[in-house]
Amino acid sequence: MRFVLRRLGFFLVTLWAAITANFVIPRLMPGNPALAMMSRYRGHINPQALHALEIAFGVKTHQSLLSAYFTYLGNVFRGHLGISLTFFPDPVLHDVLQALPWTLALIGSTTILAFVLGTLIGLVGAWRRGGILDSVLPPIFVITSAFPYFWLAMLSIWLFSLKLGWLPQSGGYDIIDTPAWSWHFIHDAVVHSILPALTILVTSIGGWILTMRNNAISVLTEDYVRMARAKGLSPWRVMWTYAGRNAILPNLTGFAMSLGFVVSGAILVEFVFNYPGVGWMFLQSVENQDYALMQGLFLIIVLAVLTAILAADAATALLDPRTRDVR
Amino acid sequence: MSASSIGATDQLATPPIGPKPLVAEVGGGRLGDIWRAISRNRKAVAGLLLLLVFVVVSIFPGQIAPDDPTAQTYPPALGPSWHHLLGTTSLRQDIFSQLIFGTRLSLVIALAVGAIATVLAVLIGVSAAYLGGIADGILSLVTDVILVLPIFPLIIVITAYRKNSGLFMLIIVLGVLGWSYGARQLRSQALSLRTREFLESARVRGERRLYVILFEILPTMTSLIVATFLGSALYAVLAAAGLQFIGLGDPNSQSWGTMLYWAQSNEALFAGMPWWALAPGICLALLGAAFALLNYAFDEISSPALRVRKLERSRIPGRLPSPADTTPAVAPDRSVLKVEGLSVAYATDAGPVVAVDNVDLDVGRGEFLAIVGESGCGKSTLLYAIARLLGAPLPGEIIGGRVLFQGQDLVLLEERELRRVRWRDLSVVMQSAMNALNPVLTVAEQMRDACRAHSKMSKAEIEERSREVLRLVSIDPVHLHSYPHQLSGGMRQRAMIAMALLFTPDLVIMDEPTSALDVVAQRSLMVQIKELQERLGFAVIFVTHDMSLVSHFSDRLLVMYAGQVAELSSTRELFDRPRHPYSQGLLEAFPSIRGPKVRLLGIPGSPPDLAHPPAGCRFAPRCAHVQPRCTEGEVPLSTVNGSVVRCVLAEEGH
Repeated sequence: MRFVLRRLGFFLVTLWAAITANFVIPRLMPGNPALAMMSRYRGHINPQALHALEIAFGVKTHQSLLSAYFTYLGNVFRGHLGISLTFFPDPVLHDVLQALPWTLALIGSTTILAFVLGTLIGLVGAWRRGGILDSVLPPIFVITSAFPYFWLAMLSIWLFSLKLGWLPQSGGYDIIDTPAWSWHFIHDAVVHSILPALTILVTSIGGWILTMRNNAISVLTEDYVRMARAKGLSPWRVMWTYAGRNAILPNLTGFAMSLGFVVSGAILVEFVFNYPGVGWMFLQSVENQDYALMQGLFLIIVLAVLTAILAADAATALLDPRTRDVR
Repeated sequence: MSASSIGATDQLATPPIGPKPLVAEVGGGRLGDIWRAISRNRKAVAGLLLLLVFVVVSIFPGQIAPDDPTAQTYPPALGPSWHHLLGTTSLRQDIFSQLIFGTRLSLVIALAVGAIATVLAVLIGVSAAYLGGIADGILSLVTDVILVLPIFPLIIVITAYRKNSGLFMLIIVLGVLGWSYGARQLRSQALSLRTREFLESARVRGERRLYVILFEILPTMTSLIVATFLGSALYAVLAAAGLQFIGLGDPNSQSWGTMLYWAQSNEALFAGMPWWALAPGICLALLGAAFALLNYAFDEISSPALRVRKLERSRIPGRLPSPADTTPAVAPDRSVLKVEGLSVAYATDAGPVVAVDNVDLDVGRGEFLAIVGESGCGKSTLLYAIARLLGAPLPGEIIGGRVLFQGQDLVLLEERELRRVRWRDLSVVMQSAMNALNPVLTVAEQMRDACRAHSKMSKAEIEERSREVLRLVSIDPVHLHSYPHQLSGGMRQRAMIAMALLFTPDLVIMDEPTSALDVVAQRSLMVQIKELQERLGFAVIFVTHDMSLVSHFSDRLLVMYAGQVAELSSTRELFDRPRHPYSQGLLEAFPSIRGPKVRLLGIPGSPPDLAHPPAGCRFAPRCAHVQPRCTEGEVPLSTVNGSVVRCVLAEEGH
C-alpha cells in the first residue's frame, strides 16, 4: 500500500509542477506576449472571466504574485481554464473535453497495443537468443525508433492515400458525417484512424521491443530461471512465469518514463493527419496565439500521461509482491 | 537505453560463480577498452561512419553543394535531373543544396544539446548519489518530475510565447529539459559504485570529495556518460526537427526541419515534389539512426550479456573429435551417477576457454561427495554441466564426455527427455535462495509448479506434500504461502532444500548452499542435510570452497584445481594423508579446533588463467615441491591406495 500511496504523492507533485510551470512561464517572458491576446478578449467576455485570464497570464493585476498564484490554483482545480479564442466563446474546458476522447482512443489504444506487442516480441526474442527474430528485429527497430514521427506520417499519407488510395488522408471522420454513436460513424472513424495508428505503432514499438529484450536477457541469467529449468518445468512456463513476469517489471518503469516521448510524437502525428484530438488542437492554439486554450491542453496532456503512469505503477504493484509489503 | 542494463552490468562484474577469465574481460569503462570494443562492434562502426559523413558535410557544405541554398532562381517544382539531383522546390530553390546546407544546423543542435544535457545529467546524477540524504531526495524528485513531464509539449508552450527566438534559445531549452533520463541512470550507477572497495579506500586515504568524483568515479562511468550524450543528442535531433516542422523554429534558417515545414505548407508530396519532403526526412532518420546505433552498441559494450558469442570448437587446443564410445551407457549398480571425461568450454572474446577439463567421478547410492576448490576452479561449471543447466550466466558448452545417470547419458538427452529426469530423480539446490527463488511467486506456487510438471497430484495433495517437506526442514508450514522476500535468509535456504526433496530424488546437487549464511546457521543446516540424507537415502554432490565445513559430513572429497581433478579420495584419507600439494595447501589454510597450535599457511599466488593454462602440472607455478619434470608434460592421474591423485610425487608416497 505504501508504494501506491508514494506514487500517488508523486503524481500530485508532478501535476503541481506542471500547473506552476503554466503560471510562471508567461510571467518570465519579456514583454508579456499574453497582452496582445488579452486585448482581443476585451469587451467580448464578461469582466469576471477577463479577470481570471488576467490572473492566469499575469497581465496588469493588482494582486500580489502569491495571492494571484493561489487564485490561479483555485481556478484550475475548479476547471476554470478560461475562454478559447480559437473557438470563441467556448470555455477552454469544453474544447479540451471534446478533443480528449479522440486522442484517448487513438493514442491510448495504440500505445497500449505497441507496449503489449513490443513486450511480447522482446521477450520471445530474448528467449530465442540468436534466432531470426532476435538477430533481424533489433537492428531494424533501432533505426525505426530514430524516425521522426511526423515524417513517417507524411510518408504514409503519400504512399497509402495518395499513391495507393487505400485509406483517407486526413481528419478523424468524413466531413460529410456528423459525430454520433452509429455504426456508420464508428466505422468511418476507425478507417480514418488506421494510418495515424500505424504510424505511431511503427515508431514506438521499437523502443519497447529493445528494452524488454534487454531486460529479459538479464533476467534469463538469474538463478531463479535456472532453478525453473532444473525443476523440469515446461519452457512455456519458464518463459512466462519466471522470465517474463520478472522482466516486465523494469519495462513497466520504462513505460512510465518513455510515455512523454511517445505522446510528443503523437501530437505531431495528429497535426499531420489533421486528426481532431488534443495534439492537433494544441498546435492550432499555438498558431492562433490562443494561450488559454494552449495551457488548458498542456494540462490535460500532463494529466493523461500521469494517469497512464499511475496505471503502470498499479500494474507493477499487482505483479510484484515486494512493492505491496510495507517496509 | 534501458534502465535495467545498469543493474545487469553490476551483476556481471561480480558474478557469484563462473570462471575468472570471463570476469576480467567485462568492459571496464576506461577509454582505451571502450575504443577497442567499439572497433569490434559492427553497429558501432556503422553508426560512427554515418556520423562522420554528416560531420564532413556540415563542415564543408559550400564545397559539396552545387548551388546556393537560398537562391530562388530556378524553375519551380522540377523533378530530379542532372542539374538538380533532387529537383527544385515550388519556391524555386535547389533541394539538394538545401539538404547539404541543412546538415550543419541539425548536427550543431544535436551536439550542443547533447553536451549541455550530459553535463547537467552528470552534475545532478553524481551529486545526488554522492551527497545522499535530503539532497539526494530533492534532486531525485526533481529528476523524476522532469522525466515524466511531457517535455516536448512544454517546449512548445515555452517557444509559443517566444516565437522565432533563435537557435541559442532552442538549444538552451532542449538542453535544460533533456538531462533527466541520463541523470537517473548515472545516479543509480554512481550509487552502486559508492560502496565499491576502491572508493572506500580513497575515502580512507582522506582524498578530497571533488578529487574522488573527478578521478575515481567519473572514469568508471565513461560508457554510461557516452550513452547519455548519444541519447540526448538523438532526442535533440527529433525534438528540434519537430519544432521547426510546426513552424516554431526560425523559418529562414537552413535546416532539415525547416525544409519539412516548407514542404508541408506547400504540399510538396501532393504537388509532385516528393523529394522536398522525403530527402530531409531520410537525412533526419539517418542522423538519428547514427546516434541510435551508437547508443545501442554502447549498451551492448557496457553489458556484455547482450552479446552472443559462438564457441569455436576448432580453436580448442589439443582436442580432436572424440571417437565414438562403445562401452554401454549403463552405470554400475552401486553408483547413482558416473561422469566420464567431462569437458566444458566457454566462448570468450579471446577464444574458447576450457573451464572443466576431462573430469571423471562417480557417486554411490546415498553417498555424500564434496567437491572443493578455490573460486574459479570450475567446480560450479562442473556441477551445472552434470545437471545439464549450462547457459547464461554460465554459457559453457559440454565439449566431450558422458554423464551416466539412471542408465542414460544425460549429455545426449534432448531438453524434453531431460525434463522427465529433472527434479523427480535429480534436483538442485543453489548458492543463494534469495536469487534462486522466484521473487514474484509464493513458496507454495513454486512447489506447485514442480509438482504439476512431474505428477498428477491434486491441489490438496500438492498442498499436503508441500507442508510435509517444509516440516522436514523444520519450517512451520504457515510460511508456505509467503513470498521469498518475507522469509529470513536461513528459512529461504531451507525452503529451497525442502523444494528439492518434493519427490525424494536419487541425487541432490548442492552448489554452496550454506555460503550465504552465518557460521552457526551453516552448521545447523549441514547437520540437517546430513540427517535428511541418511533418513531418505539420496546421494549428494556438495560443492564448497570451505573444506572444514564438509569435513564431518562428506564420505569422499574431490579437490579441483584449474578445471581438473587434483585429488579424489575418502574424506578421512584426504584429511590424514593429503597427497596433492594443493590439497595440503588447502588443509593448512584453516585451523584445526583440537589439534596443536600451528602457523596457518595459505597458498601463495593465484589460480592460472584458464585461457592460457601452464604446460604440464597446472599447480606447478604455486607449488613448493615443483620439479623440472612437473612442467614437461601433462601429468596423468595415478591411483595410490584407493586415492586418485594428479601429481608426479604421489607414487613415491610423498
